[in-house]
Amino acid sequence: MTLCCRAVDSGYRETAVLHEVSFEIREPAVYVVLGPNGAGKTTLFRTIAGVLPLTSGEVLIDGVPSDRQASRDHLHYLSHMEGMPDGLTVRECLEYYARVERAGAADVERVLDLLGIRELSTSFTSKLSAGQRKRVSIGRVFLKEREIYLLDEPTANLDPKVAREIRSLILDLAKDKIILYSSHNLFEAREIGRYVIALKGGRLALFERMENVRSSRFVVGVRTLNGSGPLADWPRTGDYFLKELAGPEQVPALLRELEAKGVQVRELREMENPLEDLFL
Amino acid sequence: MVAARSPPELPTLLGVTVRRSLIVGRIPMAISTAMLCFYSIGFALAPGDLYADIGSLLLPVFAVSGALGGATVFTNDRMKGVLEYLVAYGLTPRRVLGNVLVAGLVQVTVILSVGVAAGVLTHRLAGFAITAKLVEALLLYSFPMSYLTVGLMTTIGVFWTALSSPRAGMTSSVGVLPLIGVAPTTGVLVAALALPGYGVPILFGSEALVGVALLALLSQSTRLMPPERLLSPA
Repeated sequence: MTLCCRAVDSGYRETAVLHEVSFEIREPAVYVVLGPNGAGKTTLFRTIAGVLPLTSGEVLIDGVPSDRQASRDHLHYLSHMEGMPDGLTVRECLEYYARVERAGAADVERVLDLLGIRELSTSFTSKLSAGQRKRVSIGRVFLKEREIYLLDEPTANLDPKVAREIRSLILDLAKDKIILYSSHNLFEAREIGRYVIALKGGRLALFERMENVRSSRFVVGVRTLNGSGPLADWPRTGDYFLKELAGPEQVPALLRELEAKGVQVRELREMENPLEDLFL
Repeated sequence: MVAARSPPELPTLLGVTVRRSLIVGRIPMAISTAMLCFYSIGFALAPGDLYADIGSLLLPVFAVSGALGGATVFTNDRMKGVLEYLVAYGLTPRRVLGNVLVAGLVQVTVILSVGVAAGVLTHRLAGFAITAKLVEALLLYSFPMSYLTVGLMTTIGVFWTALSSPRAGMTSSVGVLPLIGVAPTTGVLVAALALPGYGVPILFGSEALVGVALLALLSQSTRLMPPERLLSPA
């Protein structure tokens, strides 16, 4: 299965959002789509999903335009909105999704258990908390397996525990699927993504393997057991004394230096996420 | 290349849309039905042709204002991203419009059936005959005008929602729909009272006008409601 964007221009009526976006995806993996607000992440997802027409260029799923039904049948699209119909209980809501996905009653039962929402099954969706609604809406992507998943901020509004569970389910899913996953959570992005697709101003700024994304600065934070001592003149963030290094290879030397100065190191950690640079 | 295969048919979602519109629109529907019953029974107890002459003209006014469920479901679905989801999986805007239109018509059928049944039964129990004039008035005006006006009101609501930025409350497209819905039927009532000798041309003329307006709007559905108009606010 391949997903190919060629010179994609897209937007809303008179507002052009995406400009000349091109990339090709063949390898099943999680591709984290990053970018500041207004960079075009949601527009990219909508264009690939075929709900927003192209101004020019093409989006192909195995060579077939993505707005054709044959391509739609390979895609799962979870928009940034919950997409939860009014007037239904949780079970009825999943049954509604199942009809659209052309999944069966057994799939609904499986998803109720998979996402731990069986106890909510008779509750009306309007009575659920934001996190519970998100879980139900995410349930639809697990009703039926497809080859390509477009997940627009799937863990937004979820508490950390549930977000971790959802990420875990998505990682299980990603073993043999192509998953485009947008997020504002850079730590989540590093945890889940094998590739980064960064958008800036509607243009493709970066398409790279996660391990190749390097920060322009490498800053470590040192937490000590014996107060500031010789680190008193270092800048601080909370309990951490900050030190900028040329790169991670200098960390062992820094530890030796601290030990020589009598600093008892409780913790040393990288303070900046290299993905932050993509937002600046 | 994608293997050549015929995917299973997409579901129509008609039944669930009708059911949701009955649930979501139950309060205006209940109020409308109660008002319709009240006035219907009131006119049914009056002697002579008052029920046929005036009661039948009032029925669509109250029936239409309670049949907002279809338009409400459409507006909510657009706001909440349900329509975006459906379009991504291949449901066409025309199918979505068809579903909410049918949902509105089902609602008005329920309201009218209850109101007319209450009125006719009261009329009969009060010892009055069910005249041919009353039957004609109900069958040739009350029912068709209600259906046409609900169709027009729902279509205007759907297009308005699709073409405008989402707003809440009385300034939303659904908020002003009852005013749009009762305008034609109230106009007919006033015209019929002001020009008593022209009842038949007024009634049939108004039905024809509403019908033509509805058909004209529906013929523009592809142009006024492309898939991107159904997306939720970004």
